[in-house]
Amino acid sequence: MDILNNLAVGFGTAVTLQNLMYCLIGCLVGTLIGVLPGIGPVATIAMLLPLTFKLPPEAALIMLAGIYYGAAYGGSTTAILVNLPGESSAVVTALDGYKMAQKGRAGAALSIAAVGSFFAGTVGTLLIVMFAKPLTEMAQKFGPSEYCSLMALGLVAAVVLASGSVIKAIAMVFLGLLIGLVGTDVNTGAQRFTFNIPELSDGIDFAPIAMGLFGIAEIIANLEKRASRKVEQTVITSLWPTREEVRQAWPAVLRGTGIGSILGVLPGGGPTLSAFSAYTLEKKMSKRPQDFGTGVVQGVAAPESANNAASQTSFIPMLTLGIPSNAVMALMVGAMIIQGIQPGPEVMTKKPELFWGMIASMWIGNLMLVIINLPLIGIWVKLLRVPYRFLYPSILLFCCIGAYSLQNSTFHVMTVAIFGVIGYIFLKLGCEGAPFLLGLVLGPQMEEYFRRAMLLSRGDATVFVTRPLSAGLLAVTAILLILMALPALRKKREEAFQEDN
Amino acid sequence: MNRFLTKDFLAGLMFVGFGGLAYIAAFTDLSRYFGQSKLALGTAVRMGPGFVPQMLAFIMMALGAIIAISAVVTGSERIEGGKWKPIVMVTLGVVAFAVLFDPGNVPAIVSWFVPGLARWENPVSGLLPALIALVFLAAAGGDEFKWGETAIMCVALAVLCFVIFKWGLSMNIAMLNGVW
Repeated sequence: MDILNNLAVGFGTAVTLQNLMYCLIGCLVGTLIGVLPGIGPVATIAMLLPLTFKLPPEAALIMLAGIYYGAAYGGSTTAILVNLPGESSAVVTALDGYKMAQKGRAGAALSIAAVGSFFAGTVGTLLIVMFAKPLTEMAQKFGPSEYCSLMALGLVAAVVLASGSVIKAIAMVFLGLLIGLVGTDVNTGAQRFTFNIPELSDGIDFAPIAMGLFGIAEIIANLEKRASRKVEQTVITSLWPTREEVRQAWPAVLRGTGIGSILGVLPGGGPTLSAFSAYTLEKKMSKRPQDFGTGVVQGVAAPESANNAASQTSFIPMLTLGIPSNAVMALMVGAMIIQGIQPGPEVMTKKPELFWGMIASMWIGNLMLVIINLPLIGIWVKLLRVPYRFLYPSILLFCCIGAYSLQNSTFHVMTVAIFGVIGYIFLKLGCEGAPFLLGLVLGPQMEEYFRRAMLLSRGDATVFVTRPLSAGLLAVTAILLILMALPALRKKREEAFQEDN
Repeated sequence: MNRFLTKDFLAGLMFVGFGGLAYIAAFTDLSRYFGQSKLALGTAVRMGPGFVPQMLAFIMMALGAIIAISAVVTGSERIEGGKWKPIVMVTLGVVAFAVLFDPGNVPAIVSWFVPGLARWENPVSGLLPALIALVFLAAAGGDEFKWGETAIMCVALAVLCFVIFKWGLSMNIAMLNGVW
């Protein structure tokens, strides 16, 4: 009954005219950037963050969340219709989705993707409702040492699950932690790495950094590649799938939802990894794996459900523990802090309307996406015809204005420029931005917990392994790291990522 | 030389560089050249402001060294060359935006190089000049730059910005400082 009560509170918050409107705006903007290649949810949320300052916290977070799952949704539309995945999470959908479109089944592929996503989103939302309470209660028993260990686990897991070199990703986490320390030390008031620049004494804002790393650097890389995009219009005849297609799709939707829900919770998991894993699983389960890539229904249904389930469940660690599991969640944490809310277990008890309202809005948002997007498909595809040379100066401009309006200071615009260059170097050197951003956001908190834990234990570092919860978390962290060092497993992991690419 | 122009070797160097810079700037006598006072380490019980930074700087240098050395020993992917135009023009565009947006920025930067310069304000500043500079520089960074097209884009974006930011969100942004 408790759950029903909470949901009632949530829907009460979400179904106000204002919040419904922000939910709709978030979903539309999310779909838009999902459709357009070259700009992702991280850069967009960073860009729009300053605009949410004036909004009440519920509306701000509802809108930002809408951008996130709307992007996962929009990416698949263009993947199916024109073989251009707008988001990395939709790359696998393009494999079979576009082939289906070529066979004249574009409408069926789109509606299966939409309904599968909606089902997965519903399950994901229910999972948040069920796990929120117990996880929050567990988190309330956490002391500083547990938090510190939990963050270490989160950061390491994010590294292990991200593709690419593990040791470079770990180094990126540490670099993020180090840059996160720039500013005034909270305990002593000492200036750290501020280099006599007064703007730095409050620390470096993460939003301009995210804009530089994920927006500007990405644009520069795209300009270098000079990808010429040819868009061929697919004719959509009927949105209705045949009975045979439905029969094939629904078990795949169920499996995709399962995989997505689990991988979404894990740090570093998120939509992209889930979509890849779900596709691989379907291929293994299928009696005719050779058909995959020629336009099979399962190849659309499974990854689409998986990426949507994952984008929902990745909210669980953020909402209950205050630990972001990917770069977008890191920005959401930042958005909450800006609104004066310390993310963590207290959010649910102290701000129930915000907590449950956000969850209810996610379900509503998923419903909106299905209802509004199927009729709007024609418009989204037309947008793809806008050449990139018109698109990127506009993105740059909105980044600059967004950065400026953070604190009405052009200092942040300079930060965007500097981190654009740094992000470009990162790209060239094969270093990933996501672990860096996680480290950056968690850095100040982690140091704080570390210092507090050491103070409470009178300088005894064994506190991290003598307290059972903390020891358990650290043990999992250590196991993950050891597993990565084993040559056999490392090879397997590299193969897995090879397959993805 | 090819052994060293690899992604991993240079990434390792970069990490060593960041760690080393943090260490030199905060824990050596050179710190005053960075406008930074030396950070106290404190004890494990009462950590000073420098405890965690020093730990991180050492870890960064160690990890960077491991990455760089193993890249030399086992080899790694060669770094790909890039084009100069996109990176230079896009960065210049963003910097130009920052400089032209505020009336006080150009003088501040000029005064870094010309000490003793009297305070003055640059006459042309605001969203419009910043926007035009950004859009033209950024567009020139691409391969298909056309003057007319870019000018039309400027007009369209200026109208859009006015409608969204000044009219819609009533943000305190000057289109042209002192004029509008």
